[in-house]
Amino acid sequence: MGSEARWSPYVTVILSLLAGAAAWEIAAQFTTRAFWAPLSETLGSLAESASSGVLVRQATSSLQLYVSGLALAILVGAPFGVLLARVRWLRVALESYIMMLYATPMVALIPFILSMMGYGFAPKVLVVFLFAVFPILYNTVEGARSIRPELIEVAHAFRSSEWELWRDVLIPYTLPFTMTGIRQAIARGLVGMVAAEFFLSPSGLGQMIMMGSQNFDTAGLLAAILVIVVLGVALMDFGCYIEERFASWRGYSR
Amino acid sequence: MISGQAVFDRPAAGFAAAAGRLLGSPLFLRAAAGIALLLAWEGVVRAFAPAYVARPTGIARVFVNVIGNEQFLAAAAATLSAVLEGLAMAIVLGTAVGLAMGRVAVVERSLRYYVNSLFATPMVAILPLVTLWFGYNADARLAVIVFAGFFSIAVNTCDGARSVPHEYLEVARSFRARPLAALLDVVLPSSLPYLIAGLRLAAGRALVASVVAEFFISIPGLGYYILFNSRTFKHNEAFVAVIALVVVGVSFEALLNWITRRYLPWARRD
Repeated sequence: MGSEARWSPYVTVILSLLAGAAAWEIAAQFTTRAFWAPLSETLGSLAESASSGVLVRQATSSLQLYVSGLALAILVGAPFGVLLARVRWLRVALESYIMMLYATPMVALIPFILSMMGYGFAPKVLVVFLFAVFPILYNTVEGARSIRPELIEVAHAFRSSEWELWRDVLIPYTLPFTMTGIRQAIARGLVGMVAAEFFLSPSGLGQMIMMGSQNFDTAGLLAAILVIVVLGVALMDFGCYIEERFASWRGYSR
Repeated sequence: MISGQAVFDRPAAGFAAAAGRLLGSPLFLRAAAGIALLLAWEGVVRAFAPAYVARPTGIARVFVNVIGNEQFLAAAAATLSAVLEGLAMAIVLGTAVGLAMGRVAVVERSLRYYVNSLFATPMVAILPLVTLWFGYNADARLAVIVFAGFFSIAVNTCDGARSVPHEYLEVARSFRARPLAALLDVVLPSSLPYLIAGLRLAAGRALVASVVAEFFISIPGLGYYILFNSRTFKHNEAFVAVIALVVVGVSFEALLNWITRRYLPWARRD
């Protein structure tokens, strides 16, 4: 009984993955190639684009865009968020606008960016940045709002300099909240990346998907989507990891 | 003499304090920041951008016209009804799958990887596939909205169903509740707060999905309204549609907060 309980979860998981693979393969028998390609063909197409170097080139291009936008969002969002933790009147003045922008579907701005900035790398980075920056800012401000005034008072009582106050109180206190924001930004930035590659100048993995659908190359289309799914899962796990890593800094739970 | 001075001082001091309170009051700060942001936007656009770029005075000038415009209203209605319909479908399917995953280990183990990985997939990426299946029409938009909403609801409901306190289920069992009754009367209400959290996420994603689908498929809706007007350099008109999207997003958030406070007081998050 005990040993069965230990291995049975893995059996179910493996069976379900095998069933999924089989369903993917068999589903192609019931439709035309325009709708669905079997798993074997999809993997073949993936191997082909990997060996020809197309996959690596397009994935690198996508990641360049993604990392630039996300890094910019973190560099702007996190320090600004901590600044709002320090300057209370600025936070009170801006927090409702940050909340509003956080709730704004940023995709809606893509046509404006397209007609103002045209095609190129910069407008696409701007799209990823806009998708990613508000979750970081919003969550850091949430953290700033819950900072206990006593902490700052104690720091003042011990004659902390401004720099020490930031280093020892503000940054450690808001960091877990910022990490929650970064986790959300990691996910939203990926949506922004694909949207930018679709609707601004085609490039990267988005272009691979587009080309697959325009050439009725369903196997290529599915292969590119599969790469994005794997990328999404890996990034989500990474995001949850860094959020967990700093979660214990929250100290007392709210 | 001292008392006389105090009498003279008091009104002035009171006035200064009142002025200070007003300057420091949240409402004043918010309004001042809003005006400052609008002025900065207006100034930057006037100084550096071409005339067609949207700016507050331009938007204000066309606002009433656009809001009353039949085409705009039809677009807003199309997007809103598609989002609500898609969310309703996502709630029903997502709750069913989430509850099954949360309570039945075999279901959880066999669906876990699929649900989690599709939850992490940006819904934009599947747009071309969905248009292959459904064609370039409103069905494809609905499918993308359901896809965008379903997984966040399923994942959250699953978490909720798993975190039902064991004692509740034991009580249900000792009162000989049938499994269905235990599911509907104990597990579902207990996981409602999680469902609401999932719905909050799903609503935002559904709105994005609708706009993206309209860009891609070119069917009437707020997204297409934005695309069409910005292509013809009517940025002010297009921006009114962005405002409409923000209003929809924010009011949905407010509605969920209200529902949580009014009907789920045990789930209040501060």
